[in-house]
Amino acid sequence: MSAIGQRTKFSTVFLPILAWLVALVFFFPIFWMVLTSFKTDADAVKPEFLFMFTPTLENYTNMTENYDYWRFAVNSVITTVFATAFTLFVGVPSAYAMAFNPGRHTKDILMWMLSTKMLPAAAVLYPMTFLTKNFLNLFDTHFLIILVLSLINLPIVIWMLFTYFKEIPKEIIEAGKMDGVSVWGEIKDIVLPLAWGGLASTALLCFIFCWNEAYWTVRLTTTDAATLSKLIEGNRAPEGLFFGRLSAVSTAAVGPIVVLGWFCQKQLVRGLTFGAVK
Amino acid sequence: MSSRALPRLLQAPAVILLLAWMLVPLGMTLFFSFIRYVLNNLRRPEWTTPSIENWRGFGNYDYVLYKAKDFWLAAQNSLIIVGSIIFVTVILGLAIAVLINRTFPGRGIVRVLLISPFFVMPAVNAVLWINMILDPVLGLNGLAVEGLNTMAGSLRDVPLLGHFFSLWPDIEPVSFRATQTAAMAVIIMVSWQWTPFAVLIFMTSLQSEDQQQKEAAILDGVGAWAQFRYLTIPHLARPIAIVVMIQAIFHLSLYAEIEIVSRGNGNKNLPYLIGEFASNNIGAASATGILAVIMANIVAIFLLRIVGKSLMD
Repeated sequence: MSAIGQRTKFSTVFLPILAWLVALVFFFPIFWMVLTSFKTDADAVKPEFLFMFTPTLENYTNMTENYDYWRFAVNSVITTVFATAFTLFVGVPSAYAMAFNPGRHTKDILMWMLSTKMLPAAAVLYPMTFLTKNFLNLFDTHFLIILVLSLINLPIVIWMLFTYFKEIPKEIIEAGKMDGVSVWGEIKDIVLPLAWGGLASTALLCFIFCWNEAYWTVRLTTTDAATLSKLIEGNRAPEGLFFGRLSAVSTAAVGPIVVLGWFCQKQLVRGLTFGAVK
Repeated sequence: MSSRALPRLLQAPAVILLLAWMLVPLGMTLFFSFIRYVLNNLRRPEWTTPSIENWRGFGNYDYVLYKAKDFWLAAQNSLIIVGSIIFVTVILGLAIAVLINRTFPGRGIVRVLLISPFFVMPAVNAVLWINMILDPVLGLNGLAVEGLNTMAGSLRDVPLLGHFFSLWPDIEPVSFRATQTAAMAVIIMVSWQWTPFAVLIFMTSLQSEDQQQKEAAILDGVGAWAQFRYLTIPHLARPIAIVVMIQAIFHLSLYAEIEIVSRGNGNKNLPYLIGEFASNNIGAASATGILAVIMANIVAIFLLRIVGKSLMD
């Protein structure tokens, strides 16, 4: 019996401590970034101030002068919010139709939609630059970034919504049809209220993906529509002189999203695995 | 309006948008890959406009595959980087998911801390790691090595025992921007970001594991390892496959991290090579792009099969 006793002690004391250690190690880089953001640039590279230093807010108050932070942040907010809204606007009716009126080809359409997600972006970068610069005159506009962000997230959004809508009992929809509810009424009064949680987490996930996107937003903008990804990539090698201010601007860029992520971590799985793991 | 027409109408905008998104740029890439098309060429100015008259057949593919020096290197780097990241994240992900799949004080906080790296934007991830953590002088890497050396140095001054430490060499910190190590830096930072993804998915899946079966196994005296090997691993087969496929697709198109770490020095992958070609030789860039699409599709077919199975149930 002593073996079992030892095992319980092992699993009730040692393993939780190990779990905590692992979590702290994984979180450490983020903690380090936040901590450095409160150091002056000079203190940030001195070993004697690793953990003991006089905190300062100057990196945050100077973010506008140093990096023009707010211009990039506003662009990120605009493109992310409108892209999320547009994606849902196109995605909800589509997922509704496929979940409640599946046809012979619904499955194929869904699979095909997902396959568009697998197109390597680099392969179509030049045509996109070529078209938007020479013909459409859309290069470096909010409109273009919103459109591209919507397109790359549309498949995931439709898939997520589809799996949520499918959980609504068909009988409820049928009953609505009997009562002569219009399609719009069906979506607005039956589907959306019932799938509210799913809709919210889909929107949140789409928001996070749009905010973090770093290929198209960097390569299809120069100044006017440049987002935070572009700002950070532009300061990739500060040569140690600006760790403090760079940490502050990075913290400001990822902080809101990390916190949002904490709230939707449970729903995240479904979105990331296209409903295959629930 | 028939009952079939309306659903079709509702999904039309999404289908049309995605169809245009896929066909137009990809069609153009395919066309460019078969013509001579460069951005600057003073001797042959006619090559600077995309036109069917500059038809080159498979010439660009021939050039990329056999004459330009970097294609095979880039393809190899792509595979090494993707393979290593997948290996690290799946192993670590499994271990951590099993570790936290129990009740203990502060489990909620542990989950929140663990998942956080996944939400950090890739550009910040790369800038943070390469400068503040991996830098051989100013990063934690450099500071830690310096600290070790100072410690060894002061130990040498200890009377009598100091002799033992005189053989201790000064350690050189590893520079992660060098050709030999730049791919390693990318693997480390991306694994840090994506291990939480694997943990999250495995953990979700573990929670649906059949507990009665486990209890029966424990009563039968089955050891922890055997339980893991014969009950948990088969249960996790599909989540593991999905984690592998999804990461393969995402990491085959890694770009920001490559650019920020060393601008392709030592870690040049296919997307980065395409970017390099695209600064002048659009024909070669497009041919490389089509080859990358083919590579991604091979992975995608497997993923779609797995996901498709769970689609209608």
